[in-house]
Parts: sequence; C-alpha cells; structure tokens
Amino acid sequence: MNALYDAYAALTGWIFEHALQPLLYAAGLMDWAEDLYDWLDFALFGLFGILAVWLVCRPLEAWRPVEPRQDRRAIRTDMLYTVLTRLGLLPLLAFVFLASVQAMWEGWLTEQGLLPPTLEELVPALRAHPLLAFACYVVILDFGEYWRHRAQHTLRWWWALHEIHHAQRQMTFWTDDRNHVLDDVLAALWFGGIALLIGVPPGQFPLIVLLLRLAESLSHANVRLDFGRLGERLFVSPRFHRLHHGVLSAGAQGKNYAVLLPVWDWVFGTADFRRGVYPPTGVPDGDEALATGGWLRQQVGGLRRMAGALGLRRRPAAAPSDAAGLDPRPGPQARTRTPA
Amino acid sequence: MRRALLALWLGLVGLLPGTARADLVYVLNSADASISVLESTTREEVRRIPVLREVHHLILSPDRSELMVGDSGGNEMIYIDPATAEVKRRERFSNPYHMELTPDGKLLVVTSLRRDQVDIYDSASRALLTRLRVPDKPSHLAYTPDSRMVFVTLQGARSLMAIDLAERKPIWTAEVGSQPAGVTWHRGRLLVGIMGSDHVAVVNPADGKVERTIFVGRGAHTIVPSPDGRVLYVTSRVDSRITVLDGETLNPTASWPLPGGPDCIAFDPQGRLWVTLRWIARVAVVDPATGQAETIPVGRSPHGIFVQPRATPLPPLTVSEVVPPPAEAAVVPTAADAGTAPAHQPAIWRRMLTR
Repeated sequence: MNALYDAYAALTGWIFEHALQPLLYAAGLMDWAEDLYDWLDFALFGLFGILAVWLVCRPLEAWRPVEPRQDRRAIRTDMLYTVLTRLGLLPLLAFVFLASVQAMWEGWLTEQGLLPPTLEELVPALRAHPLLAFACYVVILDFGEYWRHRAQHTLRWWWALHEIHHAQRQMTFWTDDRNHVLDDVLAALWFGGIALLIGVPPGQFPLIVLLLRLAESLSHANVRLDFGRLGERLFVSPRFHRLHHGVLSAGAQGKNYAVLLPVWDWVFGTADFRRGVYPPTGVPDGDEALATGGWLRQQVGGLRRMAGALGLRRRPAAAPSDAAGLDPRPGPQARTRTPA
Repeated sequence: MRRALLALWLGLVGLLPGTARADLVYVLNSADASISVLESTTREEVRRIPVLREVHHLILSPDRSELMVGDSGGNEMIYIDPATAEVKRRERFSNPYHMELTPDGKLLVVTSLRRDQVDIYDSASRALLTRLRVPDKPSHLAYTPDSRMVFVTLQGARSLMAIDLAERKPIWTAEVGSQPAGVTWHRGRLLVGIMGSDHVAVVNPADGKVERTIFVGRGAHTIVPSPDGRVLYVTSRVDSRITVLDGETLNPTASWPLPGGPDCIAFDPQGRLWVTLRWIARVAVVDPATGQAETIPVGRSPHGIFVQPRATPLPPLTVSEVVPPPAEAAVVPTAADAGTAPAHQPAIWRRMLTR
C-alpha cells in the first residue's frame, strides 16, 4: 500500500511539475499553485472513479440487465457527460470561488473577535476518532444532497434543468453525470458550500466526492439488483434509484431521492422500498431533444426550458405545473412493471 | 590479528556515546493534515501527529522549550515538546500561516495568507495587540535585527510592506515583483524571492526600492542563510533547484537540481540541509559540500520543517499512547493526550484516517 501511495505521489508530482506548474508560471498565477495541486486529486480520482465504476458496473449490467441496451447513441452521450464532469473542473471552480468567499467571511468574523468553529470543536470526540469524523462529513453532505435533489424536483426552473437527467430512457451507470452544466454548477456550489461550512479537511474532500460518485454510478446501473430487506434501508441500491427514475416518478410526487443513505427518504416520507419493482425510465411528454439529442442540444434545450419556467419565454416548461410548482402527475405505482 | 584488532577498535568507537545521532525532523504535511516525525539516522518516520486541517509553518516558542505549529485551516496553534514529539496542548488561534518571533522575543507576528490580515501578538501571553488588514495574500515575513520593523511579502499585490512594530502600522508598501514569497534580512538589506519570476530582489529596507536582482531560476521562493551565515540557499519551485549564494557578494556559486518543488529548509547538527519537496510528498537531505541529495517519503505537500538535535532514538510508543485518548482529554489536550500515532500503517490509510 505504501508503494501504491508513493507511486501516486510520484505521478501527481510529475504531472504537476511538468504540465501544470509551467502553465501557472506562464500565466502569472503561481500563488494558486497549492489550489491547483489539490485539484489534481479531483481529476485523478475522477478518472480512477470512471475506471472503478466501469469494472464493477459493466459486468453487473451484462449479468442481470433490467432492459436490453438498444439506444447506444444515448449511452455514448452519457459517456461524454461523465468524462466532462469527472475531470473535476467544476469542483475546482466551485472550490476556488467558495474558498475565496470563505476567506472573506472568516476574515470578517475574526475582525469581529470571533473564530470560525470546526466540527471537531463542536463535537470534541471527533478529534480522537478521525474515521468517525469522516463518516460524519459523509452523512452531513449526503443529507444536503437529499435536499438539493428534492429542490431539483420541486422548483419549476430547477426541474427544467434536472429534466435532462431524467429524460434518459436507456439508463445505465453512465447516466449519473448526465446533467445540465448550470445544474452541475449549482450542485457544486451547494456541495462545496456545505463542505466548507462544516470544515471538511481538504485532503478528505476528494475522497468523499469519490465515495458518493461511486455510490451514485452504481445506483444508476442497468442491473436487476437490490440489497435485501435490510440492505435496501442502509444503502441506495440500483433498484431503489431506478424507481426514482421511473417514468411517473419525476416531480414532487417522486420517491427515493437519497444519494447514499435511504434513511432520509424514510424519515421524510419519500421512501419506496418495494423490492422487485423496476419501472421504465424517462419523462413522459418531455422534450424529445432532452432524451435523444446530443450534448449541445440537450444543454440548449435545458436552458430554454428553464427560461420558460422563469417566465422569460412565452412557452413554459412542461413539468411541474401547479401553483406551488409541484408535479401533479400520478405516483409511480400506476405504470410500474414487475420483473420477469 | 591486526585486522581483528582493527575491527574491535572500530566496533568500540561505534559504541562510544556521542558518535551516534538520532535527531528528530518535524515535517508539516500541509495537504495531509498531519506532521511526520522522522529520525535523521534511520530515515524512518517514527511518529505521525494528526492535526485538524492545514499545517504550514512552525517556530520555537520564546523560551525555546516548545514547537509552535500553526494549523491555518483549523484556526489552531499546536504546542509540541520537540524532544519527545508529544503534543502538549492546542490553542484556538486565528489562521496562523507564516509566523516569526521578533529577534528580541517580545512580539509574535503572524500572516493570514487567505484572510489578508497581519496579526501582532504579545509573544509571552499570545494576546492580540493589533490586527492589520493588508492587501492580497500576506505571505512570509522578516524583521530588522533591532525588532523595530517587520517586512511582509504580499503575494497577490506584487509588493513588500514595511510595518513599524512600535506604532503597529504600515510605513511603506513597495512593488518588488510578481508574487513575492520568502523574505530574509541579510546584512542591512532585504532579500525577496520573486516566485512569479526567476530572481531574488535585493531591497533597500528604508524605502522598498529594488537595488539589484540575482538570477536563481524560475519560481524563486525562500532564501535561507546557512548556520554560519557564509552562504545563502535559495529554492526555486518551477526550475526545481537550490541556488547557493555567496553571503558576501550575493553572487551564485552553485546550483543543485532538486526535483519535486523545493520549499522550506532546515539544518541538522552536521550542517546538512533538510528540504521539503512540495509536489512529490518527500523531503530531501542535501550534502552542502557536494549538493548530492537523497529523499525520504512523507505526507502530501510537505511545507514547514524543523530539526531537533537528539542523541538517542525516540522510545517506541506505549500502548496508552497508541490508543486515542478519551473524548474529554481531547477537549483540552494535555501531556497525556498522545496526539500521535505510530507511522506503521500504510500512508494512504493514514491519509484516509487522519484529518
């Protein structure tokens, strides 16, 4: 394991010294060297994550697919999303932006005679139990992700962007990163903001992102797999999340919003633990461009629909249509199909 | 027979007290939330001290009995017994990035790189005397020998700022070059490493005027005088080298390639240089006579470094030290709060398990 660590350090060192640092120097940005060095972890962990997910999910999808792979073009579009997202550009920008905001905020606080607290100061036991501290960060961030996800479905303008993610009718493990760029920006700000607020150590941040990303990719996989009666309540499974992507599950009546821990759905009444239910995915009556268009077409389509939802265009977005911005469509049970 | 006697004699010499050394080398792993403690002779990591967030620089306390380690991200000052590597206590402290005691030991000046603040403390009580809001990214600092002035590099503002410590207010701010980093007082002049360029700027402390530039290689960073003051060592991060300057003329006399982004330097009793290599998670031990280096693995992005002379090896940790202290003890860490961990588990797991 030490050899692996040394090899990783040598690799990141070589990339930084020979590729990134000369660029920084040429651009007159050497004072951002440490930040870019941190970003390398994001990018490499992202690439490692793609490889790990492919090695785990591809055999699973071949073993017990929910549905046959028919629309390979749609899957290739999702692959493009994955590569663009996991290079870590957005987390970098969000982190740099938020770190600057945090520095200003903490600077102001200290000038008022206050010191920003850390999670370990609020819960001193965490200092002596770093693994527990790591778990706490994961739980808190996962809780934040649950509510972000609910907001994506509840707010009309946000749903207009998030619909791209749900439009995929050929859902595979590649679908996890199928998001509008603006949606990704909002997600990165949300996630990074919470991480900085609770003071996630910089060295652990990429590990937490990697962990959640691995869980999310698996949960999108085209595999007939549940974790059993108890396991379904502990971790989000492909079955649990496919139900969320069911054609009638989008919008405020949706179920199973959790990213890693289903307990949030359980607590807030949005859980559906029916094992064996694998509904078709997609958004009925949605914009076909979002389902089958290429990357650019989907991006433009998402923006147009968001503009409509905000009243900036004459034609509003199709989804959530009641006064509260909630989706009036019936629940998922109406059109689910049971496994063969 | 002669050979046997020679072997016996050599063996006895090896056992004589004072010939063996086991200096402790403290390395601050800024991206790993930990401090590596190395033994200089065996080159092994004998302790790994977890910290909250980001440790960058360290100094000896005014009475030289404790190491003060600044955890800038964690807003904490960590006090360590340098002879035993024991964490004695921790103090809430605003963003301690770079810090130095005045030569007379009365004041402690701390730069907060991210918060654009320079804090002046009473060194004995650590009572905050003044907090100055300064331009972008105050980085390193140096004093006049009479402790009346402190000079702070402003990385994001291309400038050097002079602060009067009696008045506790800036006297002048002068442009010295792109992203100035390290600064050192040397024989009546200030030497500033211009990280965004390839040289050291020689600055007049009276007005901040750059009088001369000395080429050292791209990414000039810190300037550290040798223990005898006869030469100065300058690290260059981009060209990854150490340049040796003659202390009298300031002319370069040697240049040693050192891959990995050399940064801070400390000296052991034998005069060897211990250099942190920021980008490859290692420290280098450099022979000042030849420039030859060997490297030792530590944590990610090692930054500050300190060598504590010691004659005997550090004893192994006892069971009570290995087991984390109870939560109550961790609130107000004491000498009993181990705060240390054996460095035997694989580094990648240490990284996972430490903050």
